[in-house]
Amino acid sequence: MFAKKKKREMIRQLQETDHKIDIRMLNKSYQMGEQSLHVLKDINFTVDEGEFVAILGPSGSGKSTLMNVIGCMDQWDTGEYYLDGMPVHALNGKELTQIRNEKIGFVFQNYHLIPAYTVLQNVIMPLLMRGIDHKTAEDMCMDTIRLLGLGERLHHKPNELSGGQKQRVAIARALVGKPAILLADEPSGALDSKMGKEVLRLFGELNAMGNTIVMITHDLEVAKAAQRVVRIVDGKLYHKEEQEATG
Amino acid sequence: MKVNEILRLVWINLIQNKFKVILTSIGIVVGAATIMMVIAIGRGGQKEVEEQFKNLNAGAIDISYEMSSELSSLMDSVKTSGGRGFQNFGSSSKKSGSSTQKGSSGGGMPGGGNGGAGNANGSNFGGSSQGGPGGSGNGGGPGGDMIMGGSNGDDSSRMNQEKITLSEDDVDDLKTFLPGISKITISYNTKSDVEGGDLDDATGYTIAGVKHNYASMSNLSMAVGDFISSSDEENKEKVCVLGYSVAKEIFGSVEEAYDSTIYIDSRAYVVNGVLAEMGTVSSGISPDDSIFLPYSTGVKYIVGSSVSPTITVIIEDVDEVDAAMENIQTILSDSYPNAEFTITDAGSKMEAASASNDTLTTLLISMAVIVFIVGGIGIMNVLFVSVKERTKEIGILKAIGCTKRDILLEFLLEASFISIFGGIAGVLAGLGLTPILEHFGVRVELSVLVAVLAVVFALVTGTVFGFYPALKASNLVPVEALNED
Repeated sequence: MFAKKKKREMIRQLQETDHKIDIRMLNKSYQMGEQSLHVLKDINFTVDEGEFVAILGPSGSGKSTLMNVIGCMDQWDTGEYYLDGMPVHALNGKELTQIRNEKIGFVFQNYHLIPAYTVLQNVIMPLLMRGIDHKTAEDMCMDTIRLLGLGERLHHKPNELSGGQKQRVAIARALVGKPAILLADEPSGALDSKMGKEVLRLFGELNAMGNTIVMITHDLEVAKAAQRVVRIVDGKLYHKEEQEATG
Repeated sequence: MKVNEILRLVWINLIQNKFKVILTSIGIVVGAATIMMVIAIGRGGQKEVEEQFKNLNAGAIDISYEMSSELSSLMDSVKTSGGRGFQNFGSSSKKSGSSTQKGSSGGGMPGGGNGGAGNANGSNFGGSSQGGPGGSGNGGGPGGDMIMGGSNGDDSSRMNQEKITLSEDDVDDLKTFLPGISKITISYNTKSDVEGGDLDDATGYTIAGVKHNYASMSNLSMAVGDFISSSDEENKEKVCVLGYSVAKEIFGSVEEAYDSTIYIDSRAYVVNGVLAEMGTVSSGISPDDSIFLPYSTGVKYIVGSSVSPTITVIIEDVDEVDAAMENIQTILSDSYPNAEFTITDAGSKMEAASASNDTLTTLLISMAVIVFIVGGIGIMNVLFVSVKERTKEIGILKAIGCTKRDILLEFLLEASFISIFGGIAGVLAGLGLTPILEHFGVRVELSVLVAVLAVVFALVTGTVFGFYPALKASNLVPVEALNED
């Protein structure tokens, strides 16, 4: 009974949104002893297909929490979140794992590559997790690897690569699964400015190729690489228009 | 994720941590080697017991008599009657058995008591307490007081005071009156100096005086020649039959021994035959190491009146052995009212020997289990550290969509692989240890099954102890795992 009702509701909601990301009135607070820390306050946020959006905010503003929520890695208290039409708020842990694998491509600040694996093994992990066998997965990721200029480095370990190369491996890993959105957390944060610019330019190219990108950063210069910037301050999200309106 | 892909990841992780794998598996290596050796040694012991008793008839009952008052008679009886070496053993195993047993090596101790278990115990105590005070002139005095009270002490001083020699008349009595009897023989053994053949000096050997039917009753077979015949006995012929080892020692080979002459107490005996090799036996005398003479010949020339023979009866139905033992006591008490005879049956000796082997095996197995538990905790420990070390990796995997099941499986398989590796290494270590153990005279019976069992035990231990850390890894929250430093 309940499952059926849930399913019907899901279909209804599916029809309701045509954004890639659609977050409505989302609130989250942490319980810290007696005190409750309200980190995300009435967040309303949409991203359309093919957009490149930067979320700009200082540390402690709640931007990391927001990223974890968007990345389906964290729970929240109230509000709805649709990702590629799927009602994330209605999914269980196992379904969230699947969503992370299929709909989201993560690019972390510290690359987060697995040190024991080669470039190739790192890149094909998301495909292997879907149950695709090794050979097929290798074939599937070759284009992406070539696109990112990693063809020569296939069998190197991460510690044999430069920072920029590591980040390209991370980007390749995020892209192979053909996710609905590319979610980047300070992608240039750990790189020198030259390498950082290179990575941002790469994001621009990927966006031009049709990828939807959400980037989180504290650096306005970095945020400028995006088409649209939203600010997060003290858990509240300010859209550009509002910023201009408020000065 | 496909299982073979998980296996590939497990392989990558193990290969990159070879040293850790080896250290982790040491506990399992020791455990597997222990369990393999323990079972192999246990089986070896079992085989040994079986072989030792292979010439023993389960329906056989030995009857002998010891004088109670002198320590020396006790010592003598141990020395001169090989069968008695085992008697303490036999009687202790029969603690709850029939009361006919209570004579045992305790001599005077059991006194007039006709009870069951208590007396059997008492007799064992008596045996040792008599050794202590040095002969206790009044026959079980101190021992008897200790265990049975004063009045029994008097009783026992009357018991077994006379010198009784079991004789062929007793054999005839038993043959006539004992129901269910199949065969009966009388024999004794002693030690004498032997010369002849290749021997440089006179050497002490066990000399057994036996009847012609001894060979068939003890399942002995001949390598060459014939066993002692009834005419040898009647004529008190100076002939002998050599055990296999004796023949080899004295003459170098069985063939040379045959028809040669040996000198026992400086009298010449012709070797009429040599027994086939029997292997080690622990019942009665060891035939390989003995020289057999006709009963009457030995009495005449060697033991004289100090002979202390043992009558061996074989009962047709093994289930009747207990009843027969009581009957024997009754029949003999007609002739010797104040005597307690030592009556032991082969079955209980066998049981005792295999029971002690079982005890040893159980002990060793518990030791192996402890080793395994320690090894398992070692694995668990290392896996916990490993989960901690790889928290970030687990976080990454979870962030990019690795399921709980995949992570659980990866860690569990890692534990299993380490333990299988340890199990196989343990089996190899066991194989390497076997010659060393055998060198020290421990019998080891290896088999494929034992090796497989050791590996299976290792695998089970690794998997069981690996499960908790694996579960912990799979339950990590991705956000927290990622932010772990």
